[in-house]
Amino acid sequence: MLSAEKNERLTRVGPGTPMGELLRRYWWPVATHDMATRVPVKRRLLGENLVLYRDGGGTVGLLAEQCPHRRAALWLGCTEEVGLRCGYHGWRFDASGSCLEQPGEPADSTFKDRISATAYPVQELGGLIFAYLGPLPAPELPRYDLFVWDDAWRDIGHAELPCNFVQVMENSVDPYHVEWLHGRYGNFLKELGGSGPLPVVGKKHVKVAFEVFEHGILKRRVLEGHTEEDEDWRVGHPLVFPHMLRVGAAGLATFQIRVPIDDENTWHVWYQTYRPEGGAPPRSDIPVYEVPLRDERGEYLRDYVDGQDIVAWITQGRISDRTKEHLGRSDLGVILLRKLYAEQMDAVARGEDPLCTYREPHEVIDLPMEKDKFGSAVEFRQLWTRESSIRYSPIKDEIFELFGDPVPAWA
Amino acid sequence: MIGFCPGCGTALGEASFVQEFWSGTDRHFLCWCASCRLMCTVVIGALVGTEPEH
Ligand code: FES
Ligand SMILES: [Fe+2]
Ligand SMILES: [Zn+2]
Repeated sequence: MLSAEKNERLTRVGPGTPMGELLRRYWWPVATHDMATRVPVKRRLLGENLVLYRDGGGTVGLLAEQCPHRRAALWLGCTEEVGLRCGYHGWRFDASGSCLEQPGEPADSTFKDRISATAYPVQELGGLIFAYLGPLPAPELPRYDLFVWDDAWRDIGHAELPCNFVQVMENSVDPYHVEWLHGRYGNFLKELGGSGPLPVVGKKHVKVAFEVFEHGILKRRVLEGHTEEDEDWRVGHPLVFPHMLRVGAAGLATFQIRVPIDDENTWHVWYQTYRPEGGAPPRSDIPVYEVPLRDERGEYLRDYVDGQDIVAWITQGRISDRTKEHLGRSDLGVILLRKLYAEQMDAVARGEDPLCTYREPHEVIDLPMEKDKFGSAVEFRQLWTRESSIRYSPIKDEIFELFGDPVPAWA
Repeated sequence: MIGFCPGCGTALGEASFVQEFWSGTDRHFLCWCASCRLMCTVVIGALVGTEPEH
């Protein structure tokens, strides 16, 4: 168990909290590319209400929700050629927060020069809009490989989950859950439904290891029937600190990005790249899709791998009460992650840059990931393109074609 | 719970980390001290009888 105080410290993300201060040192996806349009929309990140827009000149802006005049919401506003105009009295702001216009004030007034809206830096990369809510100067936006490859197809799934982001991150250092949640429970549902079990995910873990490294925590596993010569052990794949899981196999590389909306809600982004040997044919669009949580009867969907994960995260509670948990040796990855958060919170409190802060401009940050995952790239791709959120992708059939993997017997 | 760092004796306060877990019959406390940065595990094998019911 963890004490109530330590659990608070681990899970509170608002301004002024130790975790909130740590998380504010990173760039966060705040929206997918299609959400930033001439129509301003409300977004919420790290417990702060925000308004996102794209003005007539194409500049994307992110302002605090409340207008500095008399505090109407700025999503009640119209985008102009430059900036966003509050819908209430017409004050207009640019993306840096400067007040450009106060129509009701005397023509010779300099009042507007003394007013600014709270504005946060944003950058677009790889189909996502990233925001930085921390102290300036902002670090570089990390150009992780999947965001910058120019010969890959991409699509982006997303959903709002009613739970704290830490319990989602903990799942990424919990390898044993794969053989039980997906291997046993998932296959139990398939049995009940009259279909055969999924291969691969039921394999037992013989050995797991975790190692803190420059990108976060590197995970390795040996599954039954495999050895330390296999890539699951030799290469492994990372939890990218503080907010992502990298998972995939040759040609199919993905991020699961866990964005804290506030203490009790997480925006989950499934970011996929498809890049067969030799690269994918050119494609400029990045389709975006929503991942449903419930079926038509209102029951949580759990007939696929990602659905099973989601339900395991959500059912721990809005904020898992870790004073009532019972950790064992198989939870050492989870413990290591919590300790890493604690250590990095302390680093920030001492005025240092936390892990995965990039201050130098760079082209690309390459992350390690197995090519042959769970023994076989093809088997893993067959599984993942059908049993992950990709099943909701509008380009699913094109992806099957792109890889040309045979339809598996179990599908 | 372990209140003091077994390495430097400083109170394991706010910034430090203490996590209980179980291994066989032993109760373990992984401790990370924010003062001396020691990470260690205190094993309370002989005191299993004091474990509360749960
Ligand atoms: S067995 Fe792990 S949560 Fe129930
Ligand atoms: Fe999972
Ligand atoms: Zn110490």
